Amino acid sequence: MERLGYQPIGEPAAGFEGDQELAWALERARPGPGGVGLARGEGGALRWRVVFPGGGEVQVTVDGLVWSLRRPVPSAPGPDLFPSLARARVEAAVAAAVPDPAAWRLVRAQSWREGGHTWERAWFVGGPGPLPSGWRRELELEMAGSTVLSWRRSVHPLGTDLGVVTGRMAELRLLRRPAMLGLAILVVGVLVAGAEAVAYRESVAPMRGIAYGLVTAFAGSFAADSLTAAPVQGVVLALVVAVLPVWTDLPRPRLRLGPAAGVALAGVTLVGRAVILGTGGWAPVTSPVAADMGVGRLLAESWVPALVEEPLLRGALPALAAPVVGWWGAALLAAPVGALLHPVPSVPVLASIGLELVLQAGLAVVARFAGVGGAVLARGTYEALVRRASFPVGSEWDRVALLGVAVGTILLLWPRRRE
Amino acid sequence: MAAPTRVKLLAGGAMAVAVAATALLLTIPPRGVAAPESPDVAADRAERELPALGVPWGKVRGWERVRDGWTVSWQPAHGMWLVRAWVPDGPRAIRWRIEAASWLPGVRLSARAARALVGPEFGLLQPRERLGRRDWLVSDTRLLGALPAGGDLPADPYRRQVGLEAMLMGLLVAGAAVRHLVPGSASRGWRHALSWAGLVLLPLMPWLAALARPVFQAGVRPWVAELAFGGAATILLGALLFAARRFPAIAGTPPVAWLAAAVAAGVLAGRLEPGGWLVSVAGLPLRLPALASIAVIAGWLAGLAADGLRELLRFTVASRPVVLAALAVGSVMFAGSWLAVAVAIVAAAAVERGQGTWITTAVVWGWVIGSLLALAEWEAGLRDAFVLLLVGAGVVAVTTLASLRAGSPPGEEAQA
Repeated sequence: MERLGYQPIGEPAAGFEGDQELAWALERARPGPGGVGLARGEGGALRWRVVFPGGGEVQVTVDGLVWSLRRPVPSAPGPDLFPSLARARVEAAVAAAVPDPAAWRLVRAQSWREGGHTWERAWFVGGPGPLPSGWRRELELEMAGSTVLSWRRSVHPLGTDLGVVTGRMAELRLLRRPAMLGLAILVVGVLVAGAEAVAYRESVAPMRGIAYGLVTAFAGSFAADSLTAAPVQGVVLALVVAVLPVWTDLPRPRLRLGPAAGVALAGVTLVGRAVILGTGGWAPVTSPVAADMGVGRLLAESWVPALVEEPLLRGALPALAAPVVGWWGAALLAAPVGALLHPVPSVPVLASIGLELVLQAGLAVVARFAGVGGAVLARGTYEALVRRASFPVGSEWDRVALLGVAVGTILLLWPRRRE
Repeated sequence: MAAPTRVKLLAGGAMAVAVAATALLLTIPPRGVAAPESPDVAADRAERELPALGVPWGKVRGWERVRDGWTVSWQPAHGMWLVRAWVPDGPRAIRWRIEAASWLPGVRLSARAARALVGPEFGLLQPRERLGRRDWLVSDTRLLGALPAGGDLPADPYRRQVGLEAMLMGLLVAGAAVRHLVPGSASRGWRHALSWAGLVLLPLMPWLAALARPVFQAGVRPWVAELAFGGAATILLGALLFAARRFPAIAGTPPVAWLAAAVAAGVLAGRLEPGGWLVSVAGLPLRLPALASIAVIAGWLAGLAADGLRELLRFTVASRPVVLAALAVGSVMFAGSWLAVAVAIVAAAAVERGQGTWITTAVVWGWVIGSLLALAEWEAGLRDAFVLLLVGAGVVAVTTLASLRAGSPPGEEAQA
């Protein structure tokens, strides 16, 4: 902004903006770290928006490329451009906006008179540049008088790349519905089990349930975009955890195994995605982009799925269905439900569901040997490690991602109590 | 046979004849417009009369009865677009609509199309390229550039009865708790019946998906939509089979005349308040097993709710008949499309526990028949309604004979 002759006033407010479809379409067009780098830079999928209270706004990609800029209209924007010179001046102004001005060409321009000044608006096309073949970069630049007021870049994906990602995302959203139905039925089952426990005066843990529900609701309020979801989750989980002691067949918790299993499952995910890429398929390297960037957000998004889903899928479902299909049968029933809750788009679409199935089966094994508590720790550790790649570079992010590993290390080193 | 039982049978028989005569002979205007032709015929007509729209339509994926016509959906295997047409009964014009995935390059709105949409009076149109679409700025407004083509299709206003649905859910949970906390002699027959109904429905899933129109969306491949529907249905059926084991119906059979009266009441309820979606089921190629299975499952669920209601009314020993009568009148007046289910639950709550599931299933079975009689006017639909009636009568006859051979008339087993 200073280069444009404007001194911004006040402490700016910064917010994160992520374009999930664009980010994954770039990864689809250039699989592996190359696509991730494009999403953070030239692709403009992950950006910070910086707004100055005294006027002016900038969008910067997380790799530091200025994506768009708008400054207030100055009272004296300089002399109007002479029509025969306007084109050359506007083309020269592109150098302020992009690092490779020679690659850009003017495709359309318009000018009009408003507020005592002549305004110029021009559209440029930059070819694919560092983007994959078939993609296109565009730039819109605006001047008043002889002052550049704003520019805004955009990216045109190749229809196939965008279509594959957007289509798969829509399909997975649809496939999530049966899983949500399964969870709803499970909650009804827990409700009936709770009624039975009260009627038969069985041993329940109401205080533990309330505490767990409060923690879940508190963490959920950071992770969820709608605040109504967190209290509902808190109430449901409070009920589930309160009823858990009724099911005496559930394996005893052995927390020290959980985080180690989580690290192993994160490794399985990375290997699984590499196998999908290596066998000619496609799966994104990064996890879904968070709606907001913050250390608390990473912490909440990693641990809320663990706190919410594990007691239901590894505790309530096996306990309710074990009398009919046995513990392993019930645990494996939970796998398809869990697998449909959070898969990322892939080609073929069944590849990522299959990978999620493997992870869910792994969590079932963890729950068998480490109980529901161990499964919660394993899932939280796993989610934090896998989601770390979607967040910016920084030691505070690393610390949050490694929280589960640290807890696991302490638990492993903690002296065992003699029986 | 004891004299009181004979009196009950005679009263039930007389009531059954009266209700059946009312249900079948009276001219009752149903709520909803009867379909004179099947959805297949409507789809053929649309394919014959509508323009090709420049794209292959793909296969017929689903249909739905809307007002006085059929809304039929077509989608190719790649799923990039979805063609829907509302085919009215009679010779009126067909209305159609095509929706395409927003990311398809072909759905970007051209300047010419944008000008045609906003009108010629606006001068400057500024394009804004978005991810997968092109918007146009027109003075202070914005025209979103990925538009479906064709007109709007008619839709039935969906009237949810949230209070009643919540009450039914509560009764189901109460029924489950009652069957577990106050167990009786579990009926193996009902468990098997529910298992068979589920097993019959499972292979029918590819066809049943045709009834789940909202799952078919532009940009989603139809096999994924069918998988989502099949997955949800399988989870639901699995939960039902689990519930049949965990919360089994109690053994017992009601007097045959009561069953006949229940079926007749169901037919009457179906003719008064037909299930609109049942006419869509009647458009399936394998409709008979589907309809029969749906009736058994819905009847079993209503029986579960009836057990909950019966137990909740236990504290009103003296005024129980009055409360039940009030609930029955309330059901007829306010239950709307849930009329048959509400009547079935109230009727079953009035009889012994072992007879409840029989009564609810009979009412729901009759409701299916009544709905088809009211709404499906094509030959196959009417024929299937009568076949279902015969099947129901056959089941009742076989059950009665089996009970008589066992030495006790139906209705006495549960009272013993």
